[in-house]
Amino acid sequence: MDQKLSELVEVLTTSGEPQLNPEKLKELKKICRSSDEHINHVYHLLMTQLNQEHAEIRLSAFQIVTELFARSHLFRTLLISNFQEFLELTVETDHEQPLPPPKEVAQKMKILAIKTVQEWHEKFGEAYKKLSLGYHFLKQNKKIDFQDVRSRTQAERKREEEKQRRLENIYKEKVKKATAEMEDMLEEIQSSLTEMENCFRLLLPDPREFAVFTDEKDFASDMRTKPTSQSPSHSKSTSQSSAYSKSTSQVSFDNDDEQPCCSKNLPPFPSSCTSSASGAERSLGEGAKESDKSARKSDTDDSDGDYEGSREAFLRDHGLGSHAYSLSLEISTDLKVNENENNTDVLNNLMDAHKLLKQKYWPAVQSWIQLFTKAGTNSESLKCAIDVKKEIEAALKKYKEMNIDCHTKERKVMTASDDDDDDDEFEEVPEKEGYEPHIPDHLREEYGLEPSASKQPGKKTEVKRPNVPQVPPSQKRINDELNPTCAAATMKTMKDKMAKALPGSSRNAGEPKSKCPKRETDLSQAPVAPCGLDLHHWGEEQPSAGKMLKFSSLHRFWAPNEVDEEVESKELEALVKTRYVTLPGKFEPVKHKCLAPMPNGSLCERQDRYKCPFHGKIVPRDAIGVPINAEDRAREAREKFEKQGEEQDWRDPELMREIEQATGVDLGSSKCPVKGKGKGVKRNLKKKYPNLTDLKQKANTSRSRLEKKVFNTGSVKRVISAMNQADKRRHEKFANQFNYALN
Amino acid sequence: MLGFLWARQTGLDSPVQLRRAEATRRVLSLELNKDRDVERMHENGINSLDIEPVESRYMLSGGADGIIVLYDLANLHKSQSYTCKALCKVGKSHPDMHKFSVETVQWYPHDTGIFTSSSFDKTLKIWDTNSLKLAEVFHFDGTVYSHHMSPLATKHSLIAVGTKNPKVQLCDLKSGSSSHILQGHRGEVLAVCWSPRYDYILATASADSKVKLWDVRKASGCLITLDQHNGEKSKASSEAVNTAHNGRVNGLCFTSNGLHLLTVGTDDRMRLWDSSSGENTLVNYGKVCNTSRKGLKFTVSAGCNPEFVFVPYDCTIAVYTIYSGQKISILRGHYNSVDCCVFQPHFQELYSGSKDCNVLAWIPSLREPVLDEDPKKSGHQAHINPAFKDAWSSSEDEG
Repeated sequence: MDQKLSELVEVLTTSGEPQLNPEKLKELKKICRSSDEHINHVYHLLMTQLNQEHAEIRLSAFQIVTELFARSHLFRTLLISNFQEFLELTVETDHEQPLPPPKEVAQKMKILAIKTVQEWHEKFGEAYKKLSLGYHFLKQNKKIDFQDVRSRTQAERKREEEKQRRLENIYKEKVKKATAEMEDMLEEIQSSLTEMENCFRLLLPDPREFAVFTDEKDFASDMRTKPTSQSPSHSKSTSQSSAYSKSTSQVSFDNDDEQPCCSKNLPPFPSSCTSSASGAERSLGEGAKESDKSARKSDTDDSDGDYEGSREAFLRDHGLGSHAYSLSLEISTDLKVNENENNTDVLNNLMDAHKLLKQKYWPAVQSWIQLFTKAGTNSESLKCAIDVKKEIEAALKKYKEMNIDCHTKERKVMTASDDDDDDDEFEEVPEKEGYEPHIPDHLREEYGLEPSASKQPGKKTEVKRPNVPQVPPSQKRINDELNPTCAAATMKTMKDKMAKALPGSSRNAGEPKSKCPKRETDLSQAPVAPCGLDLHHWGEEQPSAGKMLKFSSLHRFWAPNEVDEEVESKELEALVKTRYVTLPGKFEPVKHKCLAPMPNGSLCERQDRYKCPFHGKIVPRDAIGVPINAEDRAREAREKFEKQGEEQDWRDPELMREIEQATGVDLGSSKCPVKGKGKGVKRNLKKKYPNLTDLKQKANTSRSRLEKKVFNTGSVKRVISAMNQADKRRHEKFANQFNYALN
Repeated sequence: MLGFLWARQTGLDSPVQLRRAEATRRVLSLELNKDRDVERMHENGINSLDIEPVESRYMLSGGADGIIVLYDLANLHKSQSYTCKALCKVGKSHPDMHKFSVETVQWYPHDTGIFTSSSFDKTLKIWDTNSLKLAEVFHFDGTVYSHHMSPLATKHSLIAVGTKNPKVQLCDLKSGSSSHILQGHRGEVLAVCWSPRYDYILATASADSKVKLWDVRKASGCLITLDQHNGEKSKASSEAVNTAHNGRVNGLCFTSNGLHLLTVGTDDRMRLWDSSSGENTLVNYGKVCNTSRKGLKFTVSAGCNPEFVFVPYDCTIAVYTIYSGQKISILRGHYNSVDCCVFQPHFQELYSGSKDCNVLAWIPSLREPVLDEDPKKSGHQAHINPAFKDAWSSSEDEG
């Protein structure tokens, strides 16, 4: 039974687990229960385990102690009779006897022990005087706060509080600063926000305002009910004839309104069909906001005139059976603002404001919000900051949605004509989003047209407009706008020319410098090499660099009369006049690898050109590293044999292992073939308790690694010899001088 | 016990024998008793304890915090448990309080109206107990380690004072001045003790590892310097001549009859000397752990057979028989090293003071009530202490 008991205690305490194995513990308790003798025995076993210099063993032993303490009176008396030692071993009452490593486990045990002692005191303190004495000792002498289960020392607590306070102070300071900054900046932000807002309004007038504006002009009263979306076709028809336009407009209006990209089933009125076809330019979907009413009107009037007369003939001419055609219009829903000369200033302003918002204010506001939330105070400013952030976000989003399309080139040209001096500045303008370095042809055409054709202020949405007013055959009509057809083609070429001529001329008229940037960049990239002296003085007389003063006497102040005697030195002259230009060949990367077999089974991956530092000359080898040539193979075998013989001479693996054990330095005995079983046995002995944390394992820290390097015998010897040599040299140098000889 | 009573009844034994037998039994059964507490008054370790010899009722304690406390040890209630109350103290609020650690306190041997205290603040103070006022102050030029008044003397009232100065000073209470200087030591004097047998015999122990016996009437020098080797080896090594220990000697105590002297030193030894001849009796007590750098106060029992000595042994108290050197028991209870202990001869109680600020009372354990005599009573007692019962869980599985 005793044997079993000690076995159980040993297994339980050396498990290394944070919790005890419940079955084994049960067994142990059962044995202890049977007689007092066993309790006595187990007490002594546990005390020896508690004395082990390993925190995990102690922790497990302590846990068993708690289990037994709660149950057995005898165990309690035994333990309490030696309570001082118990406290020393678990609570670390004696500072000269610190708890053993590992540290975390020891700390855990300490906390647990303090808690347990308190519980014991509450439960048994009255009956066992020494227990309460011990408790009071801990409380009053060791100043352990039993309320604070974490059992931190006073100093620790104080330090933590201090840290907290300091942090708070820092935050307070920061918040103060941020609020001040915010107050300063808020105005600027607001102003730039309003600026941006105004720009938006200029570029894209608010439909509501627009509606008011048109209302005043000539809109029918029913339009007031739906002022939000303006259909051009509608406006056209109302202006034209109110009689039938009402019905058509109602339909087209609805369709336009709800499904901007739809296939409409046209009513049998030819007029509506044609109107929507010819006026496709203006049926732009709800996003299309025309700012110029008059231009539009004149347009529509023309087209109206056309089909007033030819409505009947139209059907006939084209051989159409019916007016009910389905016409699908593709209208791009996304906004796109293009730049033209009328809105340039607005756009510039807008972009500046945008940049300011995005790069300056947005991060600032973001950081304020972060700071306020971290500090956890100042809800007022936090709220304010969040509001501002929202506004800024809205503005940025709006800007993005506008899809402003303008390219710096265009802008540059326009401003270049205004004042040429600013040319250089424009090169520094960074690319902004939406900038298209390459403008596709069909867009270029638009760009080219804009300055001449349209006098519209504000901007237009992107329009896929058919260039021909005539209605093409029905099949073609569908993808009409996609087709750069006959007439369009000629126009395009012309416009292309125009577009090219316009910037070109302005460039030529402006400055030849405008082409310079490229050359300049090239120049900056070109390597600059200083030329030789002879080149420097090309065509002039060469400086007398080849001459040097020569003194016949080398005395410092006893000089002969003829002082200067210049001697021409050919070498020096040559030095000045010759220069070396190195012509390195092209680098050829090494393709082959060493491929010699290595002890770990892989092949050597080194790519040396001629000779591997480990495996000698590089020879062609096959897939498993055997040299292909027979003579190489023979040579290798010979070398190996020689090496082995050399090693075997002095290497006695047994002896080496012993030395290794004694010194802890790896001499490489493991590489030698093992004789007998020795090794396996040693392994087993070494790991007696595999579950415990190995205390002897050296921490692999940078310090230990360095120590290994610095303090290894070889390097120490080297240092010593070097120092000795230095000493000796000094001694030799000054040996016969009295002053130095003494020390 | 019944045998002793019977023998006493029939007149076979003298009354002393019965007393001795019972006292010895009680001393042997000393233990830490949960029924007896001493009020906790000190903030720091306790250096000295003294029980007045008249009634053995009042106890003084001097602490390293400079406080002197007076306890009443008598249990006048009928109840079993009793806490020794502090009647009064010379505490922080007292104008004449010692500035530094109080090293020794002692009652005036013939009356409880006076007590003396010496401290590291280089003073020896004489106090009036009843008014708790300072009666007299002696100033010295070194810290005072120890002082002692003769428990016996009626013809003189000298206080021997051991200070950092190697000279032992004798202060006369009658004149209020230091009258004598005893020269001879070469280190600080850690302990002084008057003989309880002869009026004028004084023993002093010093850090120079010597113990000297003086007759204070003889001005020229000491009577004997105790030699641990009894003069045999002293010829061989002149260095170790006449030393009592191989380290500092920091404790002195005469046996109650004054015939022998006990000394302890930092060489972890205790020695017993014949006080009349100065011979080392060579009693081997084994190792007596002693790390104190100051004086150590230990005590002997009185009226027992054999007599016992109680010595602080690290954080325990070891009990030895004086003449055979046998270790009887070890009293464990303190959580820090014990500095002093004092024996109360009337009830065979031991009080000890330690660095853990506790004064513990060691009380002879009562005889176990015989169970079959009064089963009800014993049952009742068991009921009182449920903590003493085992608490194995009832089910077999849980254990």
